[in-house]
Amino acid sequence: MRHKPALWGTLSLLLALAVSLLPGCATAPEPATPPETTITDQLGRAVSLNAVPQRIISLAPSNTEILFALGLADRVVAITDYCNYPPEASAKPSIGGFSTPNIEEIIALAPDLVLATSIHETEIIPQLEARGITVFALNPKTIDQVLAAISLVGRVTGAEPAAAGLVAGLQPRISSVTDRTQNLSAEQRPATLYIVWHDPLMIAGTGTLPHTLIDRAGGTNIGHKIKDYGDISLEAVIDADPAVLIAGTGHGTGADAPFQYIQNEARLRDTTARQQDNIYAINSDLPGRGGPRIVDALEQFARFIHPEVFK
Amino acid sequence: MITIEMRHSSLGYDRKVVLEDITLQALPGEMVGLIGPNGSGKSTIIRALSHVIAPRCGQILLDGRNISRIGRRELARLVGVVPQMPLLPSTFTGFEIVLMGRNPHLGLFQQEGAEDREIAWQAMARTGTQPLAHRRINELSGGEIQCLLIARVLAQETSAILLDEPTANLDIGRQGEILNLIKQLCAENNLAVLASLHDLNLAAQYCHRLILIHNGRIHADGTPTEVITAGNISEVYGAKACVYTHPVNGLPTVLLNGNSHRSILREGV
Amino acid sequence: MAIRPASYPPTSLLRSQHTRVYGIVGLSVLLLVAVVLATTIGSVHIPLLTTFRILVDKLPLVDIVPNWTSALSTIVLEIRLPRVILAGLVGAALAVAGATYQGLFRNPLADPYLIGVAQGASLGAVIGFLLPVSWSGAGYGIIPLLAFTGALVSTAVVYLLARVGKTLPVTTLILAGVALGALLGSIVSYLIISSGEKMHGIIFWLMGSFSLSQWSEIAVVLPYVALGTAVILLFSRLLNVMQLDEEQAQQLGVNVERLKLVLLAAATLITAASVSFVGTIGFVGIIIPHAVRLVWGTDHRFLLPFSVLTGAIFMILADLVARTLLAPTELPIGVITAICGAPFFLYLLKRRKKAIF
Repeated sequence: MRHKPALWGTLSLLLALAVSLLPGCATAPEPATPPETTITDQLGRAVSLNAVPQRIISLAPSNTEILFALGLADRVVAITDYCNYPPEASAKPSIGGFSTPNIEEIIALAPDLVLATSIHETEIIPQLEARGITVFALNPKTIDQVLAAISLVGRVTGAEPAAAGLVAGLQPRISSVTDRTQNLSAEQRPATLYIVWHDPLMIAGTGTLPHTLIDRAGGTNIGHKIKDYGDISLEAVIDADPAVLIAGTGHGTGADAPFQYIQNEARLRDTTARQQDNIYAINSDLPGRGGPRIVDALEQFARFIHPEVFK
Repeated sequence: MITIEMRHSSLGYDRKVVLEDITLQALPGEMVGLIGPNGSGKSTIIRALSHVIAPRCGQILLDGRNISRIGRRELARLVGVVPQMPLLPSTFTGFEIVLMGRNPHLGLFQQEGAEDREIAWQAMARTGTQPLAHRRINELSGGEIQCLLIARVLAQETSAILLDEPTANLDIGRQGEILNLIKQLCAENNLAVLASLHDLNLAAQYCHRLILIHNGRIHADGTPTEVITAGNISEVYGAKACVYTHPVNGLPTVLLNGNSHRSILREGV
Repeated sequence: MAIRPASYPPTSLLRSQHTRVYGIVGLSVLLLVAVVLATTIGSVHIPLLTTFRILVDKLPLVDIVPNWTSALSTIVLEIRLPRVILAGLVGAALAVAGATYQGLFRNPLADPYLIGVAQGASLGAVIGFLLPVSWSGAGYGIIPLLAFTGALVSTAVVYLLARVGKTLPVTTLILAGVALGALLGSIVSYLIISSGEKMHGIIFWLMGSFSLSQWSEIAVVLPYVALGTAVILLFSRLLNVMQLDEEQAQQLGVNVERLKLVLLAAATLITAASVSFVGTIGFVGIIIPHAVRLVWGTDHRFLLPFSVLTGAIFMILADLVARTLLAPTELPIGVITAICGAPFFLYLLKRRKKAIF
């Protein structure tokens, strides 16, 4: 009888060791997030988690990039058709398009966490929740919110150290740009425009990631009167006389049509941007996705807008 | 001055043959009446003679020329038609409708001139339709429209006139007026006139010659006295014992006796 | 045929020529006013005088010392003016094509898109959007070319389907057009759904737009529209005669089948040319002829030229509204014409007691 506490202690130790050897638990240090937490996502929803998610489905390319950047590739069971980065992500099974994910397939995969975005708010999320699936939504509109998104994903998936590390790696890169641009006066900020499509002329207005990138990179967005992504008249563009024109390329099969447009549209010939040949193209995935590569986009925008400072 | 002629023609629509082996003629200055029961094919003959439908076999000749070789516009200068139940655009005025009769005389892009308008106006004068000049079609009665159509064919100034039931909607006074007018024009201008009439008495009174159609063929062809006989009427229409003689001019007159007990479902009627 | 000389037709029946001339002059003046208005107003505010000076400077033998920036002259001469002129051209084309179809089919609901032109053009355009070919930069890209081809091909198919021997029965033509249009429309819908991020561009094109109009486009559209409209106007009198049934028209010396073919071809050509560059703008082809009929009646010698001018004025003003109402964003012009069209139809319904067709 006197040996019983020691016996129980040994047994529990053995049990703990056995549990720790179970697959999936061996990679990272044990979850710092205790079960039974409630975390608020970026759509203001309070999401309850009972355990560390092991089967994660991503409904957006930006979410996929974050997940893979945090080393959670093994736990990702499905992605969308458009998740093309990193290249390994394409190997994962797909549950459909960005705004048209297949609900049945999602359910069939029995995920314990679905990472969504604001696009899914009205229809997809309620449908998934009605079936008891945990959905966590990300909706970063600024660079800071992207960093916050990364941290949130870290908390939700129990990968906080990885998240902290990622953020720590991105912040100096961000600072090296913003330190030199945040004190610029209005005159020192070149008029800039980010074009998504040329016919109709669709640009990034306020509330979009490219808008915030232009601002942090030291420019002024001509399209600040437009909310979100919207159409603008060619007249207004000419009148605003942009000094820098950036086109997002790589859209499906349209490739660089917007870039060709800003290079060739005859009526833009008198703008400062064309006169000084400040016409640039950037892979639209970079400034368009709220993931770690937004910082790449920031650095490129900085080079476009202030080539004299950023080489 | 032209002769209308049909030689051994078969006429029909799609697969249905309506008339077979029709040979008839209308000479200049002659007013020929086409009579026969409902559905016997009178309108079909008029359509064929204006080349709206083509004969399956046989020939149709205008003054010896095959009708299919005559261009539309020239044909319309030779032959004018007063149709039975035409579609007329409701917002056109009487004068505009009559003026359309001048179309065959105008070049493709030519507009009507003062002379054309004068001719149309005169045609309306002769038919007593001048009061209808400003009235819209949708305001007019069937009889008024019929007189306008006759004015239109007068404005067309053709050498031959085909009329499909020209008096169907007219009161007895107007019937006489219009038929008198046509007979007069026929004589004055040596027109060849072919009119389908359902009223046998009118046919007898105004036509020089009658053609009786029955069962897809010509049953009789001759003067009114020769064609409107008790035998013919009984055979073709199934109406018995109703041919009398006009007390004034001796022409055959058909009178029905309403008091005798008759079933209306006779063969052929 | 001897006619007794009598009184001449009353002068009231003779005045039509004068009325027509006055009408054309009046409408042309209105058109000029609309053009000037639309060129001076836009999402960017340019003082009236400056606009005038920019325009006048372009006249031959006139040279004004510029006190405006090149940006402003670019806006006026290369964005607004071509846009206004293209809008006028297309408005005129659709209106006169609509009037022609209504006259040919003797149907008040006929519009230029009845026999499949719009759906064929849409299909061609959507295919152009989805092809992996980028903007050619040759003044206009591949989309108008494919749209035009699609429009002509679908019309040819409808024609072949409807033709019976040497005749073209009008009812069969309408049915074939509606059927093919439905089929093509469903294909277009499917392609739109699967177009991914090009959806916005495609839908915007389909709703019709004059943004990015250029002089080079006008150079292509103008000959077709001018030729087709000239042919149609020449046949105005015959189109009147065609309002009688075909049998009467034949008996009055009209070669009905030939006329149908010529007018259909002309109307389809101008519709195809317009749609290929600006998309399918609805309602203009129906409303304008009816509006003209309400005032001037069904005589095609009035109806057709007046439709040309009124259609141009309407489209120019509609485009003006489309691009200034929510500036700097532009509304698709199809929305504006629809907003005008729906109440107009209701008004037509109420006025039925006075027959206008």
